[in-house]
Amino acid sequence: MPFIIMAITFDIQRFCIHDGPGVRTTIFFKGCPLRCKWCQNPESQNKNAQIAFYAEQCIQCFACQKACSFDAVIKQKTERIDPDKCTACGDCVSVCDNNALRLIGKNWKPKELLNEILSDRDFFIESNGGITLSGGEPLVHADFLSLFLPLVKKKNIHVNLETCGMFAYPEIKKILSCIDLVYYDLKIMDPKTHKKYTGASNTEILKNFGKLVNDFPALQARMPVVPGINDSDENISRTAKFLKKYKKSSIHLLLFHNMGQAKIQRINADIKPFEIKSDSDKALKSAKQRFEQEDVNAIIYD
Amino acid sequence: MTDQSYGPTDRIKRLKRAVQAAKPGVCPERALLWTRYFKDKNNRIKNTNVQIAEALSLVLENRSIKIYPDELIVGNFSSRRVGGAIFPELHGLVVMQDIFKFPKRKTNPLEISKKDTARLLSIIPFWLPRLMALNAYESKFDAVALTINQLMGYYHFINESGGISHVAPDYENLIRVGTDGIYAKAQKLQKRSLLDADKWYFYEAVKIAAQCLGRFGERYAKVALNAAMVEKNKQRAMELRSIARVCSQVPKKGAKSFYEALQSLFFAQIAINTESLDNSVCPGRMDLYLYPYYEKDIKNKVLTREQAKELISAFSIKMAEIIPVFNEFITRIHGGMFNGQVVTVGGVGPDGKDSTNELSMIFLEVMDELRMRQPNYAARIHAKSPEKYKDKIYEIIANGANSPSLYNDGVIVPVLKKNGCKLADARNYTPVGCVEPVCQGKSFSSTDAALLNAPMMLELALNQGRRFGSFTRTGTHTMPVLQMTCIEDVQIAFQTQLAFGMNNLLTDLQAIEKANAKYHPTPLTSMLIDGCLKNGKCSTKGGATYNFSGIQCVGVVDAGDSLFAIKKAVFEDKKLTMPELVNALKKNLCDPKSRHYLLGLPKFGNDLPEVDAWTDYVIDAFKQTLKNKKNTRGGKYTTGLYSVTIHEYWGAITSAMPNGRRKGEPFAAGLAPSNGQDKKGPTATLNSLNRIDHSKADNGVNFNIKFSSSIIKGKTGRAALKSIFNTYFKRGGMQTQINVLDPSVLIEARDNPDAHPNLLVRVSGYSAYFNDLTPMMKDEIIRRTSMGV
Repeated sequence: MPFIIMAITFDIQRFCIHDGPGVRTTIFFKGCPLRCKWCQNPESQNKNAQIAFYAEQCIQCFACQKACSFDAVIKQKTERIDPDKCTACGDCVSVCDNNALRLIGKNWKPKELLNEILSDRDFFIESNGGITLSGGEPLVHADFLSLFLPLVKKKNIHVNLETCGMFAYPEIKKILSCIDLVYYDLKIMDPKTHKKYTGASNTEILKNFGKLVNDFPALQARMPVVPGINDSDENISRTAKFLKKYKKSSIHLLLFHNMGQAKIQRINADIKPFEIKSDSDKALKSAKQRFEQEDVNAIIYD
Repeated sequence: MTDQSYGPTDRIKRLKRAVQAAKPGVCPERALLWTRYFKDKNNRIKNTNVQIAEALSLVLENRSIKIYPDELIVGNFSSRRVGGAIFPELHGLVVMQDIFKFPKRKTNPLEISKKDTARLLSIIPFWLPRLMALNAYESKFDAVALTINQLMGYYHFINESGGISHVAPDYENLIRVGTDGIYAKAQKLQKRSLLDADKWYFYEAVKIAAQCLGRFGERYAKVALNAAMVEKNKQRAMELRSIARVCSQVPKKGAKSFYEALQSLFFAQIAINTESLDNSVCPGRMDLYLYPYYEKDIKNKVLTREQAKELISAFSIKMAEIIPVFNEFITRIHGGMFNGQVVTVGGVGPDGKDSTNELSMIFLEVMDELRMRQPNYAARIHAKSPEKYKDKIYEIIANGANSPSLYNDGVIVPVLKKNGCKLADARNYTPVGCVEPVCQGKSFSSTDAALLNAPMMLELALNQGRRFGSFTRTGTHTMPVLQMTCIEDVQIAFQTQLAFGMNNLLTDLQAIEKANAKYHPTPLTSMLIDGCLKNGKCSTKGGATYNFSGIQCVGVVDAGDSLFAIKKAVFEDKKLTMPELVNALKKNLCDPKSRHYLLGLPKFGNDLPEVDAWTDYVIDAFKQTLKNKKNTRGGKYTTGLYSVTIHEYWGAITSAMPNGRRKGEPFAAGLAPSNGQDKKGPTATLNSLNRIDHSKADNGVNFNIKFSSSIIKGKTGRAALKSIFNTYFKRGGMQTQINVLDPSVLIEARDNPDAHPNLLVRVSGYSAYFNDLTPMMKDEIIRRTSMGV
């Protein structure tokens, strides 16, 4: 029997219009090598399925406790799942009629995922849209993608890859022929600061960027503007120089918001709440100005 | 985020402000003059056609005439700036239940003076025995039953008991030949009908109606001339003189200019609204039939594009002065002071070629600038619509104009053709009222004849033909739920109740149809519909070329989702037994566990073929009950999938449903998914919508979809919006109404009505001011999923 390769996603969103050209379906893969403190999708970090608890939906019937075979249910109002015991089998989810417990993480075989995204193919074709691989880090599932993407290309669908840049270069080589566009994150230029806020040094990320620019011209740099963390003059000017070194003249700037913080409690994420109080709108606009002073065309996504 | 380089002129701004600032009120003139005519014993012995034409003459000759400052297009439907009339012989007495409440009621308050209240009260004794609904049946018992049913309206609702209207008149002909032309034609035909009394009287009535409409214009000419003589402002005096010139020409004679054409049309608009039900009198394809006048005037350099646009804007504002007067009960069914005067732009012409022209573009600009509750603007789209035209449409929708609603020629033309309309006529369709397509100028389709409560039929099917908690059987006997062992048993019971309910509906409707023909012919309307003159027959008797009646299936998605829920919960997953389910429904799903379970089952609108199939099934079952049925005018009964605002009223009185909806919560509107149940975004919803064959709805579909303005902003948003609806239409979508708004704006408007006095929202086939809606309707609009947030 052949070995079955599957990938895990935490969400699939249709009608995304800011993740590349046209109307797109964005696949959020689960699993990420970074642990950015400002992460908007903390449920994307862990490569395994998890149970999320929505306390405000719970009517405290505790049917979940009876259903759990691993004694992983905590009988409390605000907390429900003991992550050390939970296997994310989903038994509690299926007895919860109030949708207070939700299984985060769905496994897909390549063909199943293909069928799922094909539902909106008519819209992709009409709008010159397609699918966007996001996450998490899609390249965590490079083996899966090397099976899945050829099927997608056969259906004439545009593919955009969003990556944090933290991957072993041969992984991306495997799928490059099936990709039309890459959005590449450049978060912080200083390796130490990068490690402080994301859990890893950026050496690998910057090196991969240099290689990929050569192999793949349709590469677009992006930067989430996190006020007080990476919007300093120094970081912006270093980023601009880095881009110019590789003859890239533009960057997408993404608005930071605190939405991810609410999700942390629900899933016992690896990161601690991290609140940014300063005005992220303002930070975004001034970052744009400074990039433009450095002759880099900055496009805002808010 | 607009690229617009246009804007209303100062005059238009002032006119708009004046109309929006005016407090809507009740005008007694039509009711009192109508009464004066019928109280005269000499008149009572006359032929009914002649009576109506003479009564109309009396009204048009004696109602007060006003020309307001800044006006270019003149004509007042009521004695108030914004006002409505009472139709004592139709639904007027029912409406007058609210006569003391009008000024104080929360929803749609209407001003009325004490004197007018007293005058209106005085006519009630005369009309009470003459109420049309009471005279519809031979037997007084049936008549009372019908009247009571109309007052409660649990199972079905017969709109026709208030008159018919719902017409897109042949304004092209009126504008071209004038009332003199129509008079001459009627005269000629009358001479040939000396031996046929019915025909002779019909032509006689048409002649009277044509003359009185012509004289109506002349009255304005006089007033304008007098005003010009005392006007101190030279510019205005000149304008008044040109108004006088225009009104001395039209509608009596054929129009010679674009200005005259618009003015001729508006006078007719007032007169038809006065003759019978003041609802859904639709100018229709104005960009098409006015274009020759526009083109000629532009060519001769007597008109500029800017002047034409100002005239159209002035006309558009006049349309918003006409409002219907309803009591609170009818308001729940037809909310928002809406009277369905559709103006349509774009689409193919009778020759099959694209007919979009410069006027279409002007109209689109006017929609964006004015954003008023009337007219109800529609835009037709077909495979070869110019990109420039489509871009403009999506731009103004994305800007938040909430107009126009969009119609797909690719579906509607074949539907009309299949129903027997000639291809050229089918191509010349316009929606009337809310969403109902009819052949302009040729069709007398009572498109909003009646509505049926589909979930109520399921309630009866789940309780052997009785309402939950009732001992009397108001449905027909069907299998007890205890004996139901498969979903097919439920389907049979549902189909049986549906057939029984439809039978009751048709019995009532046909009695009313005959009563309309007998007691309330409409000679003026008829002279403006192709076929009536030739056939010598009133439109209410089937004189028109095409005669359809539309019956609406309301709550189709709730019924479909409920049947799916029964199949899944009871027969597949065996989570509940049939009696357990019905008991829970009888208790209005008070146990949150069972309610959440039912609500959590898959619903229509999420791109799930096995679920969507059940909504499709309900449509098929409904259509089956209308198969081979003919109305009394010889036409087919057509199926409509729109609900105006009755989904809110029927949601309030129909029991809990297996889809998890409790009694008191509204049904889904038209063919849209249930509130908040479209969880996978607009593309999934459009996939579900496209799974239904829209051509089954030969009386139109209403599909409302709402987007948060934050999603649709900018070029990217507009392009995305356009592309998904291109796809929707290519795959057979018939209609859509796109609402682009920020939910926080609506919540603010609900909590503080003064903050946004003129906030326009799409309700169901039309736009209404948010403040004109009932609190429940406001909540529903807010609740409707804001997609993409």
